[in-house]
Amino acid sequence: MVFLGPSTVLIVFFYFVPVILTFLIAFTGMDRTLRWEFVGIRNFARLFGIGARDPLVPKVLINTLVYTAGALPVTIIGGLLISILSMRMHPRAGVFFRALFFVPRALPPVVWGFLWAWSFEGTRYGLFNAIRTALGLPVIHWLIKYPMVIVILANGFLGISLAMLVFSSAIATIPRDYVRAAEIDGATEWQVVKYVIIPLLKWPILTMTAWHLMSFLNSYVYIMLITGGGPYYATEVWSLYAYHAAFNRYRYGYGASLITLLVVVNLLLLLGVLRAFGVKRMLARGKIET
Amino acid sequence: MRRYVERTLIYLMMALISAPFLSMYIGFFLRAFGEGSLLGIVPQRWGFSNFQFLWKPIAWGLGRTTMWAALGNTVLFAVTSGVVVTVICMLAGYALSRIEFPGRNFYLTLQLMLHAVPGQILLIAIFFLLLYVGLLHRLPGVALARASLEIPLGIWIAKGFFDGIPWDVERSAMVDGCTRFQVWYMIFLPLVRPGIAAVFIWGFLFAWHDFIYVYTLLPGTIKVMSTLIQSLLATEVIDYGYLAALSLIYALPPLVLFVFLQRALLKVPVFGGKGLG
Repeated sequence: MVFLGPSTVLIVFFYFVPVILTFLIAFTGMDRTLRWEFVGIRNFARLFGIGARDPLVPKVLINTLVYTAGALPVTIIGGLLISILSMRMHPRAGVFFRALFFVPRALPPVVWGFLWAWSFEGTRYGLFNAIRTALGLPVIHWLIKYPMVIVILANGFLGISLAMLVFSSAIATIPRDYVRAAEIDGATEWQVVKYVIIPLLKWPILTMTAWHLMSFLNSYVYIMLITGGGPYYATEVWSLYAYHAAFNRYRYGYGASLITLLVVVNLLLLLGVLRAFGVKRMLARGKIET
Repeated sequence: MRRYVERTLIYLMMALISAPFLSMYIGFFLRAFGEGSLLGIVPQRWGFSNFQFLWKPIAWGLGRTTMWAALGNTVLFAVTSGVVVTVICMLAGYALSRIEFPGRNFYLTLQLMLHAVPGQILLIAIFFLLLYVGLLHRLPGVALARASLEIPLGIWIAKGFFDGIPWDVERSAMVDGCTRFQVWYMIFLPLVRPGIAAVFIWGFLFAWHDFIYVYTLLPGTIKVMSTLIQSLLATEVIDYGYLAALSLIYALPPLVLFVFLQRALLKVPVFGGKGLG
């Protein structure tokens, strides 16, 4: 078909072929010579610690779990907090704060990474250390002492920018009467939020949780820009480790085996999300010829 | 009285959460436009000396380029991606909005699924793919690979615009004997001009933002803005004022475009309120 042909070709070429290619490369010892040399399951054996094991894998796995488990609540709770606060304000003030928290998503990754790397720079030239110096406090080596916290916050606030928008537009659709009725009954702000707003946000909260779970599990670009996975692998997550294996140490085969596992985890998660949410509800029908 | 206290509390909490960010953004501007030794937070003088890259070449390590060359490459990269995304998504979006065929819902769901899985994890395979078809280290080839990442959601955006056009327009054209393709080309494209703009911006913006694709798939000698800033950050002595000024020039166009794009994004049911209720 004329209309769907081009998109199908590109999607097959840049999504399906790469997945198959990743699977294939995962079974080779591909290195900087770029020769196809099949080595069976050696890469996976190494990964799972059979025979010659990779001592970094457990650390990377734990990092990935800590990072995802940290950034996800920051995104959902932060997103809820900011959307609810901004929707309970004067409309102009609300728009201002939503715009403020949307900026991270509109900034290029390199600039957002630079902003964090500079703000938390360990000398007095960094923003927060400059403020501390001005207040007469000693400097803190943020990126060495709390690298994971900073990486989680930098990514969490990116998540917040999307979650907050989605939650805000959902709050905007809540009929005013619900909130008014609760207020007339003498509900406090906190009670309105807890008993009226949050229960009505169940569906968006679920969607955003699923969405960001996958997004954080696969993300590495911002970590790469802010800490580079350091110091001493403290923020090296699974996908970043795969990237480093392939493009820094030229062990493409091993990197591909790491990615293969990640793709499998992604597919399982997608199936789980599809089962839980149902396809029908995600699709609004277009104007179809009858 | 209680309500008054609560209102104040709401503003207070918001101020507390946004304070670090506001100081980051404000600090960023002060750094870009401030001159002199900045040991404290407030600069000594104001001026544009940090913007000297506008007329001087930029050097890092052994490399050397100008801001304009990098900016030119960024524009070329982003426009290529934008055009590819626009053409492909306007075609597919029309079919998915107007034509019933088996597997239509599957196709739409598939796009969402593909968008949920970040393509950046497939970079190793894409490296080999481009190598084998001879597009590695070439700007248009990498732009094509980058464009494919934005196609899934781009299709949804395009479909949203086609959905908004009443049926009668098309029916009368079909009665007059137009083919599907003629209808698309002569009737629909002029009607969905805002949609074309939105989809183009969508493809343009993320290619403009891109770091990891250009960093990995282009040689270090072809610099775009993102890789240029990154290589300046990776040097021994970092001039933060200079970098802040450079980042400002780089980040400003997308910020403006985002304001425009936001309205279009609300038409996608997953992001707007519609599909979430």
